[in-house]
Amino acid sequence: MRDFITSQFGVSVVLAFIVINVLLGAVSYCIYFERKISAWIQDRCGPNRVGPWGLLQPIADGIKFLVKEDVVPNHVDKPLFIFAPAAIFLVAFIGFAAIPWGGQLELDGRLVNIQVANPDIGLLYILGVGSMSVYGAVLGGWASNNKYSLYGAIRATAQMLSYDIPMGLCILVVVLTMGTLRLEEITLQQTGYWAGWIPQWNIFLHPLAFAILFITALAESNRTPFDLAEAEQELVGGFHTEYSALKFGMFFLAEYAHMITASAFIAVLFLGGWHLPGVSWTQPQATQWYAVLAKIVVLSTKIIFFLFVMMWIRWTLPRFRFDQLMRLAWKGLIPITLALFVLAAALLFFDRQRSPLWALSGNLVILVVALITASSSRLRVTGRQVNLPTIAPATDFVRLGRVEMPL
Amino acid sequence: MTSTTGYVLYLVFALGAAGLYYLLPRTGASKTAIGATLGVSALVGLFVLLGAHGSAQRRDEVYFYLFAATAILAAVRVITHPKPVYSAIYFVAVVIAVAALLLLQEAEFLAVALVIIYAGAILVTYLFVIMLAQQPGSPIYDRRTREPFLAVVVGFVLMAMIAGRAGELPARAAEKAILADGGRNPASTASLLTGNTMAIGAAVTTKYVVALELSGVLLLISMVGAIALSRKQITSDVIRSPRRTLGQIGKEVEPF
Repeated sequence: MRDFITSQFGVSVVLAFIVINVLLGAVSYCIYFERKISAWIQDRCGPNRVGPWGLLQPIADGIKFLVKEDVVPNHVDKPLFIFAPAAIFLVAFIGFAAIPWGGQLELDGRLVNIQVANPDIGLLYILGVGSMSVYGAVLGGWASNNKYSLYGAIRATAQMLSYDIPMGLCILVVVLTMGTLRLEEITLQQTGYWAGWIPQWNIFLHPLAFAILFITALAESNRTPFDLAEAEQELVGGFHTEYSALKFGMFFLAEYAHMITASAFIAVLFLGGWHLPGVSWTQPQATQWYAVLAKIVVLSTKIIFFLFVMMWIRWTLPRFRFDQLMRLAWKGLIPITLALFVLAAALLFFDRQRSPLWALSGNLVILVVALITASSSRLRVTGRQVNLPTIAPATDFVRLGRVEMPL
Repeated sequence: MTSTTGYVLYLVFALGAAGLYYLLPRTGASKTAIGATLGVSALVGLFVLLGAHGSAQRRDEVYFYLFAATAILAAVRVITHPKPVYSAIYFVAVVIAVAALLLLQEAEFLAVALVIIYAGAILVTYLFVIMLAQQPGSPIYDRRTREPFLAVVVGFVLMAMIAGRAGELPARAAEKAILADGGRNPASTASLLTGNTMAIGAAVTTKYVVALELSGVLLLISMVGAIALSRKQITSDVIRSPRRTLGQIGKEVEPF
């Protein structure tokens, strides 16, 4: 029995159980913090009635979700209507299996990974699971049999398909730099130092790729300014308009679970995962139980930082319009990430993939070229899209201001 | 594979074909019960046959039968379900089950690539089109199969031919080579140790590099073709409005 528990499989089972339960608690507290942060930004108090500082608010919300009437409208496609929240919830939670939480632990003289699974393709696994996350929104929107829900679903699909491309290219930049798809190995390779004190984190090699990956993570988890799929002012509630009680709650929690997965993923890829420079407990050699706990705390802190930035952005920036969203992805992010990908491949070819000087100057050149191209472009960045054909063949025009409008 | 087994295998495929023929959606009286009985008996027969002739008892064999059955049943539902959206969802189930089968064969890169490309991108696009193009009610082409008999015959003859030849395929040649020399040849063992993602990468960029480049060019051509077909010529005069300078951004927002 003791042998089983201290084996990698036993540790994985225990860890999976702990991770799922901690995350279920964490996502409900994410909602609390989101409300507190929004209140802080908007100069309000926020939830403060339930418990001290409103700390029991998530529990009250959970009870409310559970005891509310679960309405399934008559006109919906019932099997898919019930399947959709389950699908989005499941997909949001299985991505955590490949996250390396705390390096290695020494148990009974053996080293075990504090990671549920360490497959050869850990990075692709998270990418694959992430690409499945669109089904919940799409099926929920379609099964609701409601025009606004369908619009939400269609927007979610188009947005997800568009932002998958720059996301994949950013990840490829990391893969080319690191030469591996194992997330634990990627973390280990970032634990060295440049000049004795700068940690070899990927953010110091490819800051542009880091920024773009963060933007696409916002889009993939449907957060403002990319929450077009559930834009309240335009679509009532988007794909979850018809959902009530715990089914709505599952959509809600899945969004936060996505945010946590995306944050953990970015932290592992670009911020060295559980590594913190200068602290001996967070080095790969430290395998005691307290070192593992310290590593978990470090990774969680990085995740919480990203969550805070995401919430901060949500309560600061307004929502994009859909054509702006598409233009940002296809005309902005994809060319830049393609250039970054070529840069990473060229650095690999000349064996300079771990040289910060070359990588950083390449990033700078790409950024400058992108800024110059964007500022000298003839494309409109505001206003209606004028390069669409007119609906009817326009015969006469009227001068309206200085822009010609078909009458 | 002995000739008797071959004939039993062909019989099983004929049974499956008959089952599928009765399961396909039709306008007249529904014969789903007959089709389901025939189909399930064909599936059971196939599995019994596979179990009797399986080479070595493996621990994960139960998973093979589980995912294979899932894949076949979901595939049948893809072509028999009257609602296109459900067909797409069953297709996703097929893709995931096949990815699991690939994982059992230790082809994890292929498995995840299949999920990312098919389930994550192509089927989402299908679903997108189906949702946009679906008409109210259930049109006749969703409730009736066109040429069910010919389709079933062609499909199952092809499948039976491949399956009848399966025993002669050079299965797991690399593994057999390693076992044969007892792991002494470092070149053959290295391919197992580096993991097959790396092995696939090395193979694709060295031995099959021409095929890879050609498929890349083919994809590029089809993408250019798709853009050329879908793009409309812009004849509006509005696009010839004078060039903006930086200070004018935001000043020419048109009224709706």
